[in-house]
Amino acid sequence: MTKNIKALLLQAELFRKQGLLGDARKKYKLVEEILLKSDKLPNKQKLLEGLAKKVAALDEDVKAVERAPSTPEMSSHVNELIKKLFSFAEKDKDENDAALEGAIALAKFGQFDGALEEFHKLLQVMSVRVSAAKNILRCHLEMGNPDGAHTQLAQWQGSDLFSPEQFEKVTAFFDEILEKKGLKKEIAQAPGATAEVSVMEEDEEEEFLDISAVAITFDSGPHKGEQVELDVSFQSGNVISLIISSRDEHLIESLKVGVRLDDVHFYSPVAIFRGSGIVSAKTQIKSGPKKGDFSIDIKIESL
Amino acid sequence: MAVFNIKKREIECKIVYYGPGRCGKTSNLEYVFKSYKKQVGGEMVSINTEGDRTLFFDFLPMDLGKIKGCDVRVQLFTVPGQVQYASTRKLVLRGVDGIVFVADSLDVRREKNMLSLKDLQQNLKDYGLNIFKVPLVMQYNKRDLADEGIPIMPIEKMEKDLNRQLKVPSFPASAVKGEGVGKTLQECLKLTLHSLQKQFSWAQ
Ligand SMILES: Nc1nc2c(ncn2[C@@H]2O[C@H](COP(=O)(O)OP(=O)(O)OP(=O)(O)O)[C@@H](O)[C@H]2O)c(=O)[nH]1
Ligand SMILES: [Mg+2]
Repeated sequence: MTKNIKALLLQAELFRKQGLLGDARKKYKLVEEILLKSDKLPNKQKLLEGLAKKVAALDEDVKAVERAPSTPEMSSHVNELIKKLFSFAEKDKDENDAALEGAIALAKFGQFDGALEEFHKLLQVMSVRVSAAKNILRCHLEMGNPDGAHTQLAQWQGSDLFSPEQFEKVTAFFDEILEKKGLKKEIAQAPGATAEVSVMEEDEEEEFLDISAVAITFDSGPHKGEQVELDVSFQSGNVISLIISSRDEHLIESLKVGVRLDDVHFYSPVAIFRGSGIVSAKTQIKSGPKKGDFSIDIKIESL
Repeated sequence: MAVFNIKKREIECKIVYYGPGRCGKTSNLEYVFKSYKKQVGGEMVSINTEGDRTLFFDFLPMDLGKIKGCDVRVQLFTVPGQVQYASTRKLVLRGVDGIVFVADSLDVRREKNMLSLKDLQQNLKDYGLNIFKVPLVMQYNKRDLADEGIPIMPIEKMEKDLNRQLKVPSFPASAVKGEGVGKTLQECLKLTLHSLQKQFSWAQ
């Protein structure tokens, strides 16, 4: 038993050192359980005290991680680098598009002051003016400063920077994000999900059971009446992907896009479910080790 | 999204180290930075938070010199592995040409490896890329821990978990000791340049 405890403590220490705080905590807790259950250990109380100290120290580490700023101010050198590394528009084609992307990248990384400065420069450029304006408003909102956004908007209204149509676009956009933000009020943001300029586009993917394999019984075609078992390579929500070797011509033939599969067994870690699905995509893999094989997506209809 | 300048015969591509939190992505880059001085083309930039966790990314530029008559420059990036940095992770992946997936051999990290691979697949998909087509290599890191009596997964198990369908080249490694780091990167570069060469047919 003490050997077991030693091994667990060794792991816990290593996990802590590597920053795997949750895993370390679990091991400490496991040791605690073992200690509490045993009544033969002479130094049990002391061991428990020592352990409690370790767990407390670990909890301090966790707090420090949670407290750490998610958007530190960075040197102008690093800001320049981000702008350069994350602007994807072809630079010779349109310098201003590239500059806009660079500024958006800054905002995404939470560097709002730097981003605002860039966007304000870009307001002077006709082709990106509206985008720059929208992003200025977003920055203010992301900085937790809606008043700043309103003030800015009022200021623009009084100037002749925008044409009426352009200004309309900007205000419509602003109303929309305000509304979405309002809806989002209840949902606490995860720490670090910072400066999500695209946060409004995020779709809440619903939890779906993990399917590891399927067994399909065909009711027509060359495999009629047969049950074919296939591994699931990937899953995204209710869409599973299978890879089928180019040698299985009949199978590939049977799994046409749009085909309904009425008798499918879905193997999940908890149980096997019977249900149906529809072949939603079929693509031949053009390169790499699986070249020539087919990737088939099946949308699960019912479980 | 490599940049190819035909006039100057220059190509610049992007390789991203992906994987769950604390699996050793940054350690890989640190080792490359220390050990491949000749090919390293500048300073390594790391944007970290508490406890050396990557907050935004690590960046290391490399200059491989002339390959088939073309100057090849490579940007190495790591993503932040911690789950909560999903948005930054996706942003860093944008425009990727080749990927090193670093998996953690610690048995307690088994599920995290799988989740991270799924996350990679989804993010690639969102960028219109297919994980089966993108140049990808797998690294099973922290193999050295076996010597310290820490339970790690056998390679076969990791292959089955992560590489059963993908069947990409995979390497055992110890990023802190530098073992397997070079091999992993070389293979990834090979696959990436091969695929870019097809795309731009620069050798002709
Ligand atoms: N023993 C051992 N430890 C390693 C190895 N690779 C990384 N580590 C340790 O694991 C911890 C995390 O390493 P990092 O390189 O920072 O991991 P990361 O993947 O960049 O982590 P995130 O940035 O949080 O995603 C550090 O304590 C490293 O020293 C390895 O091969 N062997
Ligand atoms: Mg890191």
